[in-house]
Amino acid sequence: MTTEYEINYFTHNTYDEPVHEAFFSFLISPCQDETQRVKQVTFRHSLNTEEFWHKNPFGFEVTSLYSAQPFTEFSFEMTARVEKSQPFVPFRPPLSVEEEQAQLAAYDFFIDHHLYLGTGHYTLIEDQFKDRLLFRKEDQKVYDYLTQLNGFIHQMLEFDPEPTHVHTTVSEVIQLGRGVCQDYTHLFIGIARLNKIPCRYVSGYLNQGHNLTGTAVMHAWAEAYVPGMGWQGFDPTNNLLANLHHVKAAHGADYSDCSPLKGVLKTTGGHKTAYGVKIQPADLAQSAQQ
Amino acid sequence: MNMTMRQGMSSGVFGNYQTPPQFLDEVFGQAGTVNPQYQSIFNQFSKFSKEDFRKLNEHAKASFFNQGITFSVYTDKAKGVERIFPFDLFPRIIQAAEWAQLEKGIVQRCVALNLFIQDIYTNKHILRDKVVPADLIFSSKNYVKAMLDIKPAGGIYNHISGTDLIKHSDGKYYVLEDNIRCPSGISYVLTNRVAMKRALLETFRKFKVSTVQEYPQELLATMQSVAPAGVDAPTCVVLTPGVYNSAYFEHAYLSLTMGVPLVEGRDLYVEKNFVYMKTINGPKRVDVVYRRVDDAFIDPLAFNPDSVLGVPGLMAAYREGNVTLVNAPGTGFADDKAVYTYVPDIIKYYLGEEPILHNVLTYRCEKDDDFQYVLEHMDQLVVKPVDESGGYGILIGNKATKEQISEFKQLITQNRRKYIAQPIMDLSMHATFIEGEDRFEPRHVDLRTFALLGKDRQFVLRGGLSRVALKKGSLIVNSSQGGGSKDTWVMRDDQPSDTMAQDQSAGTQTLQLNGQTLHMGPTGMTMGKME
Repeated sequence: MTTEYEINYFTHNTYDEPVHEAFFSFLISPCQDETQRVKQVTFRHSLNTEEFWHKNPFGFEVTSLYSAQPFTEFSFEMTARVEKSQPFVPFRPPLSVEEEQAQLAAYDFFIDHHLYLGTGHYTLIEDQFKDRLLFRKEDQKVYDYLTQLNGFIHQMLEFDPEPTHVHTTVSEVIQLGRGVCQDYTHLFIGIARLNKIPCRYVSGYLNQGHNLTGTAVMHAWAEAYVPGMGWQGFDPTNNLLANLHHVKAAHGADYSDCSPLKGVLKTTGGHKTAYGVKIQPADLAQSAQQ
Repeated sequence: MNMTMRQGMSSGVFGNYQTPPQFLDEVFGQAGTVNPQYQSIFNQFSKFSKEDFRKLNEHAKASFFNQGITFSVYTDKAKGVERIFPFDLFPRIIQAAEWAQLEKGIVQRCVALNLFIQDIYTNKHILRDKVVPADLIFSSKNYVKAMLDIKPAGGIYNHISGTDLIKHSDGKYYVLEDNIRCPSGISYVLTNRVAMKRALLETFRKFKVSTVQEYPQELLATMQSVAPAGVDAPTCVVLTPGVYNSAYFEHAYLSLTMGVPLVEGRDLYVEKNFVYMKTINGPKRVDVVYRRVDDAFIDPLAFNPDSVLGVPGLMAAYREGNVTLVNAPGTGFADDKAVYTYVPDIIKYYLGEEPILHNVLTYRCEKDDDFQYVLEHMDQLVVKPVDESGGYGILIGNKATKEQISEFKQLITQNRRKYIAQPIMDLSMHATFIEGEDRFEPRHVDLRTFALLGKDRQFVLRGGLSRVALKKGSLIVNSSQGGGSKDTWVMRDDQPSDTMAQDQSAGTQTLQLNGQTLHMGPTGMTMGKME
């Protein structure tokens, strides 16, 4: 089963004082993998300069802009068409608990996945919180555990954009009991890694259905490595497995590797910024335009 | 106390010279005899009265102030006060045969470390083969994921290395540490030589001393050798954090002597993944950057986002192979003092050779039995943080108070990965002119060497920075901790090619850049408009 999506990312910024020099980097383009094929990407922006691209250390395409001509307004838009197919999930995990654990404990496995096994600013869980967490039972398979963990985190936190920000750590999130998709994801990652399961941060777009009005923001979920099955997507914010509705842009060890927009500006004043995304099945997008 | 009294030195600048017997003195033997390589220079210096020598030394020191060769020390008391690096005229002498061995050992070490860095950022064979523990590397804050799978031009990461050596009381050289981030000190080597020639040209010319002034051209040739693919005449620059950096003089000095622009981050920009320099004639593409800005600050998009010293997009341009950074970012995990213990194994692993230079026995507090040993023998050890440089945060056990020791025990226990300990090495001593006393006294010295790796080229400077711990009995020689320095003479073998070098070392070198002529010679450095 496949769906074709039209995805739109846009940002609009106004500056109190002229910006004399600016460098912007966007990590927002849908990526290409087994479940998604990018058919078309176009960029539009207000600066008198050409965009350029490079691959980041994880292999994802970054779109950049450099401008040395003063401006007080900046808008940028990316539109993509992506064909998404349903991720393949085996009916039941192919390896036994012992085989799974042997693979996770192998030294070469650790070396290959070390970026997704360590903890950093975002994902380090303080010892005092460990008795509140869910750990894998000795006879439990990794996939079953992760599915349980997905629901556990969904229960543990309440969705609330107010108390957290882009720098909030998991320990803070546990204390608050609230957060947004970034916080749910970091918590999932932190706990999975405590169980020695490689886990990474994914940023992308979530199709929230036909009834959605207005604009949304980028979404975040986690991918964990299940022995015998490979990387599997878990969306603890919605208690979902990543599916036909999740269009991935990039992954990394945590949010800091996936930040959608980075900029370095030479200006003296303040600025106002607005940003949003739209994702909808392409046939709907077309009929809406007619 | 059993002190050896030097005979025939009761007066003059060597009067009352005494070396504690447990230490090796580079100049004098145990019985007060003068070592053969120093005999001639010792005879020359013995002729000076205290007054003569004091004047001569003042003259030499003035040349540093006149050339503006100063540095600043970061302490709470004296923020940014400019000082000169203390210098005295009595040179350290290393014989040709001894040096030849050191040179081989330094190259071996730098080449092995380069292969090590390459391996870690690509296949990680050395970790898979369990020669170096993976945790040790991955837990280093200088292991940089932005470097993963990058293939730098020529396969070189540590183009510039500053290997620090000491001579122990057993007469052998030991490596104290490897410096492969942005090792500094080369400008002192070059200006020490200038000061030496200014003050004592006639004396200097009597000795067959290897030249050092070719270093800037060797550095430039090294940079050019690692230009991005397809660039025949690369544009090279020196990137400095700016005038407030303690080594700004060195950045300016190297750019001037290499004849390449000195730039700050704001002078460069990245467009379409290429680096450009803003000039009055418009943008000029930059191919090789000798960057003296630390990893964390070179690109706010890849590292510290608050940095204003770097160039946005620089790491992307580097990853795309459109610019070469010298040294590569992320080399710091390999000169980490905890990795140091593995360098002999690293040499054997990549080169299949026995290490030529010795390592100092090192205890890693991360290991349980080492940790226990360190706690029990703290008074006999030097304890160092693994990721600091400049002599900061060090405890020298036999000089520390009980309070300091218990404070350090706590620090180590809290962060075992961060600390290593070594036996207190008996750094050799060297006759050093002590101001105020106006005579020579023995002081501990080490030796910073300078090596360059380029594509198919290797260079070790025949000379170095002999750093002196000016405080009586002190073992810390870093300039930031009140150390001084000496001109270091690596003697030449009698080879036919030496005649020309001799003429060169006595004469003046002229360099032309941007319509200006730079003269470097025994009377120092001058700049003038070209006629």
